[in-house]
Amino acid sequence: MLLLQLLVDGAVSGCAVGVVAITFAYVYATTGVFHVAHAGLFTLGGYIAWWLSGQGLPFPLALMGAVAVGAAVGAVMQKAIYETLMKRRASPLVQLIASLGLLAILQNLVALLFTPNMLQFEAVSWRLSMLDIGPIHLSLPQIWTLASSLAILAGLVLFSTRTILGKRIRAVSSNRALAEITRLRPFDVYVVVVAIASGLVAVPSVFIGVDQAMQPYTSVLVLLTAVIAVIAGGIGSLPGAFIISVVLAVLQNLVLALMPGRWSIAFTFMLFIVFILIKPTGLFQTRLKRAS
Amino acid sequence: MPTCFTRLAAGAVSLLAIGLSGTASAQEIVIGAVLPLTGPAAPTGIEEQTGVQFAVDGINAAGGIRGRKVKVIYEDSQGKPDQGVLAFNRLVDLHSTPAIVTAFSSISLAMAPLATRKKVFVVNPAAQTNKLATASPYLVNTIPLVADEVAVMTKYAVAKLGKKAAIIYENAAAGIDARDDFKKAFVAAGGEILADEAVEFGQTNFRPTLLKVAAAKPDFVFIGITVGAPTMADQVAQVPGFPIAIGTTFNRPFSGFASTAGWFHTGIKSGIAPEAEAEFNNQFGTKEMGFFAREYANATQIIFKIIDSLIAKNIPVTGENIRTALFEIKNFDSPTAKIVFDSNTARREIEVLKLVPPGREVVETGTN
Repeated sequence: MLLLQLLVDGAVSGCAVGVVAITFAYVYATTGVFHVAHAGLFTLGGYIAWWLSGQGLPFPLALMGAVAVGAAVGAVMQKAIYETLMKRRASPLVQLIASLGLLAILQNLVALLFTPNMLQFEAVSWRLSMLDIGPIHLSLPQIWTLASSLAILAGLVLFSTRTILGKRIRAVSSNRALAEITRLRPFDVYVVVVAIASGLVAVPSVFIGVDQAMQPYTSVLVLLTAVIAVIAGGIGSLPGAFIISVVLAVLQNLVLALMPGRWSIAFTFMLFIVFILIKPTGLFQTRLKRAS
Repeated sequence: MPTCFTRLAAGAVSLLAIGLSGTASAQEIVIGAVLPLTGPAAPTGIEEQTGVQFAVDGINAAGGIRGRKVKVIYEDSQGKPDQGVLAFNRLVDLHSTPAIVTAFSSISLAMAPLATRKKVFVVNPAAQTNKLATASPYLVNTIPLVADEVAVMTKYAVAKLGKKAAIIYENAAAGIDARDDFKKAFVAAGGEILADEAVEFGQTNFRPTLLKVAAAKPDFVFIGITVGAPTMADQVAQVPGFPIAIGTTFNRPFSGFASTAGWFHTGIKSGIAPEAEAEFNNQFGTKEMGFFAREYANATQIIFKIIDSLIAKNIPVTGENIRTALFEIKNFDSPTAKIVFDSNTARREIEVLKLVPPGREVVETGTN
């Protein structure tokens, strides 16, 4: 029974990481920016919802507020920082350094504006509600995490393949030069992509915050797992990144049953290294390919 | 040119030193306090400052120490050892303070070698890492250390709760100290450790660890974490059959949750006279005199008592003499606590408290 509960808990955590992974992959595949500041936007979303719900706003509105703020901050980041660097032909390394700087700014800003200590969503009355499904115990926020993450995955894949804007984004990510010639305005598309990714990543941040607690500096480990999932899943494959996120999180949990917890993260990442040595292109075929 | 600059700088420093020393009267006794007054630890540091100030205001209102007024110079450590060391040097080199009140293990440990070298009496009223016991002959702890609390808790647990335990500890200095102390004491008492699980500092998802520990079916769990207690308490409620837990003073934040009812932790017995608390609340606009305020006020009063004995015997007030007098006086009874100094760490009462929501009750009292 322990293994089953660990597996389910791992799958739920993995779904949340999966959203971080697919949104990160969406930005990377389109803009080419290794957007580590995505971890900061993940953190920001939870704190914004916490603040809004603390002001008496109903939870759904607080969640929407967090998504809106995340999208706006992401769009500003792209427009003001990444676009400027791209236009000045900054190398990917310089863009990465800028992103690292943005991450540090966001985390410290959150710690400064709210608190560096752990915060809980005291204003959300249902955060401790439980649901028993046979022998499995799940909290209500865990169920919301699971459902919302799967919905975001499905939505983003459908958006990417079935809508005009989604197809336009795919066109820009496939060949930026050609997109410029055909007046697809890549820089405008980048702003939209980063805004979408930044807004969506607020959702698992809020539900994890409600389920557990929030701390300004813990999102880096979440992003690290997500980036590994993106690489192992095959860069550009959204479902691939999502599935590998779930597998990694489940493995981390199951390993705990076999060895002391302090080894679980190291063991899981060691498995990843072995995997990537065997299959460096990742597990799944790429669907979104960035132009070189 | 460098020589001229050096001379100029040396002259400026001398003038500054003279100027600063000139602000204190010849009869004034000056002590230092290095506390985290800004940064994440500031709420604790500011409470500690109110305790020191309360003691200083109290002695000055009573005419000072044998007629000599007391002045305290506060330095902000920001909760960082390097800043603490700079602050220590400023106090000793510019103000010649013979005694300094400190806060936090890492900062106190960083100051310890300097205290030995410069023979400055350093008082730690709240930090508890075991290394503080022997860090410096000039560093004294007015509070028992982690190992002392763990010993009292373990003795109670072996007698009343069972001999099969699991451990959840924070993978950082304080958590590792607590784990090692508990493991050593519990195994020596014939106990068996069934599981030993680490959680990371700042971690928010404790479910997998709690599930694994509960599955080991221990009689109780020793928990040694310094952050995240409310989050862990919430998640304990979601793990059916989680055993009761024990811990040290760090586990105080587990109080008040339905899921932690019946848990135990140790606490340092620390009281305050009602009239003194009323005066404190009146002076600082608080509703109660918190633990840190009480302990810092008491530690400062201990310094005053020692200085009083030195002045009475016409002995110079130096760090060395304060240290010698501490062990000569040895007993420092006050409404806060009965404190005995057999070594650099005070011997005093440690309570075993049972969590009974919304508060806690004392079930046993021991000493270190």
